[in-house]
Amino acid sequence: MADYDRRSGGDRGGYNSKKRRYRDDDDYDRRGPRRRFDAPPHVRIRRQLLSIAENPMRAWHEEVASIANLFTDNWDDELLRGNFVDLVLQLSLEQPLKTPFLAAVVLVANTNRPEIMDMLLAKLTAGIEAKIGAGEWRDVKLYLKLLACLQSCLEGDGVFPVLEELFSRAVDLQTASSDDTIGTELVKIILLTLPYVMVTSPEQWAQKAMDLMEKTEIIALEPHALQTLVEPYHAETAEGNSNPSQSLIKLLQTQLQIEANNGWSLSFLPRPWEFPLSEAETQTKLNDALKHALPKITLPQAVVAGPRPLFPEVYFSVCANQDVESVPSESKAAASLIRDALTDTINILHINRNVTARHLVEVDCFFAPRTFAARATPFDRLRDIEPPKSTWKPEDVAVDAVFSQLFQLPNPEHKLVYYHSVLTETCKLAPAAIAPSLGRAIRYLYRNVHRLDLELENRFLDWFSHHLSNFGFTWKWTEWVDDVYLPDLHPRKAFIKGAIDKEIRLSFAQRIKNTLPEPYKDLIGPEMELETPDFKFANDSTPFAVEGREIAQLVKSKASDEEIQPVIERIHALALDNDLDPLVASTDVFVTAVLHVGSKSLSHVLAAIERTKDRLTDAGAASEAARSQIISAVMAYWASHPGVALAIVEKLLNYSILTPAAVINWALITCGGATKGDALARAHIFELVFNTVMKVTGRVRQVAQKAAQPDVMTDGDTMDAEARGMRELFRAIEDALVSWASGNKDEMIEMDIGDGEGKSQREALVRRWGERWLRVYRRRAAIEEAFLIETSKKVAAADGAAANGEAGTIA
Amino acid sequence: MGAQRSTVDRLDKPSAYFNSRNKRRGGRDRRDDDDDINMHNNQEEDDPLKDATTLYVGNLSFYTTEEQVYELFSKCGEIKRLIMGLDRFNKTPCGFCFVEYYTHQDALDCMKYIGGTKLDERIIRTDLDPGFEEGRQYGRGKSGGQVRDEYREDFDEGRGGLGRQIQQDARLREVERRDNESDLGRLR
Repeated sequence: MADYDRRSGGDRGGYNSKKRRYRDDDDYDRRGPRRRFDAPPHVRIRRQLLSIAENPMRAWHEEVASIANLFTDNWDDELLRGNFVDLVLQLSLEQPLKTPFLAAVVLVANTNRPEIMDMLLAKLTAGIEAKIGAGEWRDVKLYLKLLACLQSCLEGDGVFPVLEELFSRAVDLQTASSDDTIGTELVKIILLTLPYVMVTSPEQWAQKAMDLMEKTEIIALEPHALQTLVEPYHAETAEGNSNPSQSLIKLLQTQLQIEANNGWSLSFLPRPWEFPLSEAETQTKLNDALKHALPKITLPQAVVAGPRPLFPEVYFSVCANQDVESVPSESKAAASLIRDALTDTINILHINRNVTARHLVEVDCFFAPRTFAARATPFDRLRDIEPPKSTWKPEDVAVDAVFSQLFQLPNPEHKLVYYHSVLTETCKLAPAAIAPSLGRAIRYLYRNVHRLDLELENRFLDWFSHHLSNFGFTWKWTEWVDDVYLPDLHPRKAFIKGAIDKEIRLSFAQRIKNTLPEPYKDLIGPEMELETPDFKFANDSTPFAVEGREIAQLVKSKASDEEIQPVIERIHALALDNDLDPLVASTDVFVTAVLHVGSKSLSHVLAAIERTKDRLTDAGAASEAARSQIISAVMAYWASHPGVALAIVEKLLNYSILTPAAVINWALITCGGATKGDALARAHIFELVFNTVMKVTGRVRQVAQKAAQPDVMTDGDTMDAEARGMRELFRAIEDALVSWASGNKDEMIEMDIGDGEGKSQREALVRRWGERWLRVYRRRAAIEEAFLIETSKKVAAADGAAANGEAGTIA
Repeated sequence: MGAQRSTVDRLDKPSAYFNSRNKRRGGRDRRDDDDDINMHNNQEEDDPLKDATTLYVGNLSFYTTEEQVYELFSKCGEIKRLIMGLDRFNKTPCGFCFVEYYTHQDALDCMKYIGGTKLDERIIRTDLDPGFEEGRQYGRGKSGGQVRDEYREDFDEGRGGLGRQIQQDARLREVERRDNESDLGRLR
């Protein structure tokens, strides 16, 4: 099993040698001169379509014409005909940056073989209907984009009737409910499709577009009820009227209005169907090509939200407010359209992050020439670019798109680590071009860390440390050196501490210390460099030191419970003598001893917990104080390595030795109180609570989804109990955080630190942390409630369907 | 149309290594056609990896700890079990491990998002695995570690320098040389 990476040869059978020969042959083929056979047309067409527009040295019209001609020249190949249509449709869904180029190939092919357009339109419209039925809105949008690019060879008004019908559906939905998100999504799709229609023939469709946009305006400009939920920034109250982010459809509406006023120049969109004067003949044929009737697209009676919950979207950029416009400004349609094409590319190509990264680095290949500045132009040199030329930096546009996903609320489409990996690959592919853009993005986020939503700040932290771990932990820490001296409650200092902790978790303390400038080194104390923490009971001055050592010895030697019990009783007696809570005292000693025995690695501690889980469960069940003490002991023992502590707490939750409520109480009340609110600024405390909440909500979702399946016996009681537990948890979080946010926490009132001004400053910081926490968990609670409502609707629908079915059989 | 071949390669497929081992075991012949459309269809029903939740992780440094693996791999989902690969004789880490998730999807995501990225400043590799069995945690090389570390000719600090056999050969030669020298000394 072990020898994966190196082939020593010899012991492998015929398979391997065959494989090698096959590979060699393949290389041969690509090298060309010795090639003996041409691949069959369907293979060549596939290869060329897949890589369309990727080569910047090849003129679009040449490439388009060559593929189209290769296709029509081999028209009699039936396999090829079918494959061609399927491949065009598939590519438009999988690699949306290439859609206009695919459309151009089809348009040229249409001049020789008009049948192809009918074949394609039949499948495309059927596809659109199917995707609408399934609520796969992104696919609907991508198919419509292809259709829009084909507008010039459609009869009558082409795509417009489809868009109009979608709009009337959106109106119905919006009138029915102000919380509706499908109608908003439909309007977004209409507005994102429109430019691709307009680019085919601006004058011809100007009036139609105007009419449509007059209608969409009402929905697009109306602020959505849920928009505050997805706002990435959480303004400080002192900042007052800081401008919130723009909703995507509002931006689109205004951007397109500006385009309309400028005669729909849409200069950034590619027009690969335009041929140069030297190819006038092809151009004439294109202009005179046969037009086709668009098969009717019927919308289903009820539209569904689909597998992915819909939320309003806002425009997020880490390149905002720069002195040079390195990405299209918010007033330009290019901002939304390029962003849309890129985020689709990113989210669709999650199956291969290397391809995603390549598309991002080569983004300028897929838009009109001169849309962007030259690749890898340093930011400082953008200032020297003379006005008519573009200052948009392709790397900034690409990086910005990835960050918009990484920082999407409530959740991005994929796991966060996917977006990490895309940035890593992009950076590996073109380090000189991408790294400086990432650097500026990091600085922007760091500057704004105090007003970022707290959940997003933690995403930033997680990405930043993970990214550095892929690039030798190099960062220009010196530029933030002044912030090291800020109080720990300051958001920027909190970020620095959190980032260093996460770096250490992926590496080790000494290594990270060596990457940091002098003032930062003090943040990594000697205790953090120890491989295993000190065992406090090794020191005789610690209360219960003798008992602690004895229990550790017993646990280590796998002694029976009966042997441990007398020592526990001794601790109880001693504690009573000293006026201590006996259960808390014995729990602390026992848990710490178990941790010490398992200090060598996670497997060791898990084995130790496994062996002692009965006693631990009893301890956890004995009293709330004891339960809390389990967490205190874990967090104290692993204080220098919070990552380990968090992993252990997670396992204790799995064993039900701890309850989620105990973790929340410990973090927000016990620990929060003991530190007078400092705990709220510690990234690992946020992580602890967040992970616990996600565990609970994940469980509820699992149960709810099971209940929504028609074949599964619905256990309403389990579902109710899970949902009730979750709501109680959110209520406990709310209660605890409200008192921090409002400054009513006892510990805050009693705060005896510093004089008047210092005290109020500190109090303001703590309250701000409380507010930021509160916002995160109110949002999470709202999202989970929305999810439960959505699922109960599905259950009701399924039940209804089942009842009807039964009625049918009886009749 | 059935399951369509994607227009880009997937990163969550088992490696050629797994396929080759599997096919050899099954005694099947590999098809030589260069059109891999068929490749997907001949994945049998009893594909041992179709629900795999375990990953083999390779090219770790000998010094990489469980905690580091845990920190990175948790980004794809909660880890159910982590088994460090050990030297058969010394019981010290020898540069690989098995990570088991609760769901197949988490394992696939790990292939896509973590395989080929760095952990402890080394590019690691991941491969879907049908599941851990007792005994597989040990290196199968002659001297106890992984086979690849026996004859490795490049110096890899994170994996004990040169290949162990090469180191041993060098030691033997050194001893021989010294023996010869002392012999010469005696002759003189």
